[in-house]
Amino acid sequence: MNKKQLIIDSLNHKDTPRTPWVPFVGVHAGFLVGHNATEMLTDHDKIIQGMDEAIKLYSPDGFPVFFDLQVEAEILGCELVWANEGPPSVKTHPLSDTTEIPCKCVMPTKKDGRLPLITQVMEEIKVKYGEEMALYGLICGPFTLASHLRGNDIFMDMFDDEDYVNGLLEYCTEVSKTMIDIYLEAGMDVIGVVDPLVSQISPDHFEEFLTKPFTAVFDHVRAKGAKNAFFVCGNATRNIEVMCQTNTDCICVDENVNMATAKEITDKYNVVLGGNIPLTTVMLHGTWQDNMKYTIGLLETLTHKNLMISPGCDMTYQTPSENTIAIAQAVFETEKCKEMIKNYESVGFDAIEVIIPDYEALEKPFVEVFTLDSLTCAACTYMMGSVKVAKETYGDKIDIIEYKFTEKSSIARCVKMGVANLPSIYINGKLEYSSIIPSKEELEASINKVL
Amino acid sequence: MSTLLEISERLQRGKAKDVMALVQTALDEGISAKEILEGSLLVGMGIIGEKFKNNEVFVPEVLVAARAMNKGLEILKPFMADAGIEEKGTIVIGTVKGDLHDIGKNLVKIMMEGKGIKVVDLGVDVTAETFVEQAIENGAKIICCSALLTTTMNEMQAVVETLEANPAKGDIKIMIGGAPITQVFCDKIGAHCFTADAASAADEAINMLIGA
Repeated sequence: MNKKQLIIDSLNHKDTPRTPWVPFVGVHAGFLVGHNATEMLTDHDKIIQGMDEAIKLYSPDGFPVFFDLQVEAEILGCELVWANEGPPSVKTHPLSDTTEIPCKCVMPTKKDGRLPLITQVMEEIKVKYGEEMALYGLICGPFTLASHLRGNDIFMDMFDDEDYVNGLLEYCTEVSKTMIDIYLEAGMDVIGVVDPLVSQISPDHFEEFLTKPFTAVFDHVRAKGAKNAFFVCGNATRNIEVMCQTNTDCICVDENVNMATAKEITDKYNVVLGGNIPLTTVMLHGTWQDNMKYTIGLLETLTHKNLMISPGCDMTYQTPSENTIAIAQAVFETEKCKEMIKNYESVGFDAIEVIIPDYEALEKPFVEVFTLDSLTCAACTYMMGSVKVAKETYGDKIDIIEYKFTEKSSIARCVKMGVANLPSIYINGKLEYSSIIPSKEELEASINKVL
Repeated sequence: MSTLLEISERLQRGKAKDVMALVQTALDEGISAKEILEGSLLVGMGIIGEKFKNNEVFVPEVLVAARAMNKGLEILKPFMADAGIEEKGTIVIGTVKGDLHDIGKNLVKIMMEGKGIKVVDLGVDVTAETFVEQAIENGAKIICCSALLTTTMNEMQAVVETLEANPAKGDIKIMIGGAPITQVFCDKIGAHCFTADAASAADEAINMLIGA
């Protein structure tokens, strides 16, 4: 099954063989390869390296190529403050002291700001992964962009100066359309319109100010033959219905929105609903079992047509990779994962006899790989693959084994050995690699230490 | 409809000019500043706070209601000094170091002012040292820290530690809030109180100030 087709079919509201999986990896990709957030948003080679690793570990059906809502604002004169573990924030608002609306003749071009970098990355990722996976180009939605330019006064303006708000949104809509053209030309398949502030206004205000701009934006994407998605953060429950009326293909929500409630509405409008693994409580601070359980919960309680599984929004920088791997596995192998969780929670592992080797007395290095299942979990496949390559190199000089979490005895072994994360590599009983797949050289160096 | 009720209703709709005129009318009718404040302005903001908590009104409605309340207060101020209005205490509030987001912080400020609490707004990107120094300098009983980002929420721990290390800390308490904040996180860093929304923050602040 082609992953990209899965996304496109889903966005065309067709039945799909399984629910699509779209991890919103932005600066988190830097965490996987040891680069900070700013590097991940400004350095070509590091972005590509991070994306490669994220794709390898998380096996997405579709993914955003670049996640930073400040790109347009930066081009249009907002000063940014950069951070090591998150996207930059807007510090200054060029329209804070004026109600002048920028001229529509001032539009971003491919040469402005970071767009040369972003489009180059998009084009390269398209060549590498574009046949297989759906690529999301994310733009800042017109309302959030208007707030970047104007500041918080935009909220008061909605009462005090409706014409100004409409005029500013009209300008921002043109910016959005320009960005859409640039990203589609760079090969993106889906345009994600990310507008976190939408949750902060009432449905009445949405209809008064935002229905027209968003409809224009989504119609523009459609006219270009691409698919679109409407991303919102926060408790947007009251606005789901009016968001559905903007001609969007998909709405993505975070943990503040009850997915079952939202899906009743999106189904009524034949709109795809994406979401909503909690970014902090589950993905950042939870265990991989928590992530698997949450995902299974979504898949068990929601109808699968017009559904996508994804994090609530841009994943936090330090999200443990095993948690995201577990979500992917729960999407790909839901029944097996249900069994894993059930077995894990049934306790009673003492009854299962597990012999822990006498690691001190081993005659040769013993490489143990703990996986969810190397046949189905992409990260596990790569990790097991790296160990198999080592086995080919060392032959009889080392022993290797895979313990799959799908088997009760392996769960018992994990419990007895205190294995916290999957996949992991232990050498002579000591944890050497957790979730991150070692290069051939790194693994050989680790083996040579105990050879 | 009584003037006080009308003030409350116009305030909830963000009608600043109407509120100003009606406050003047109430004064002319001989209603005391205390009654006007507690029986209309604070009541109106309290209702807005509850509606905000219940997702019935949103950020713009809260902001214009707060503006209307402040306009009403401007008319009332000259009469308040002798009106026997008790101050409910002082708090300092800010968004933590490294974080420039202030919508949530501003909403908490509005709700607290709507409860009659004196709020010293330290702005955004506030260091732990500034939080503590300003709290002591202003005689505040609560330091309120806001963060929107998971990457800046850890700065709240620095505020807790800085306060603990200050010999002049007295009985100052720390309240935290923001999108990524949870009770578990609050317990972990040793902050005194977590609230999930602006209206609850104001309610809890009142409890803490009365109990302080």
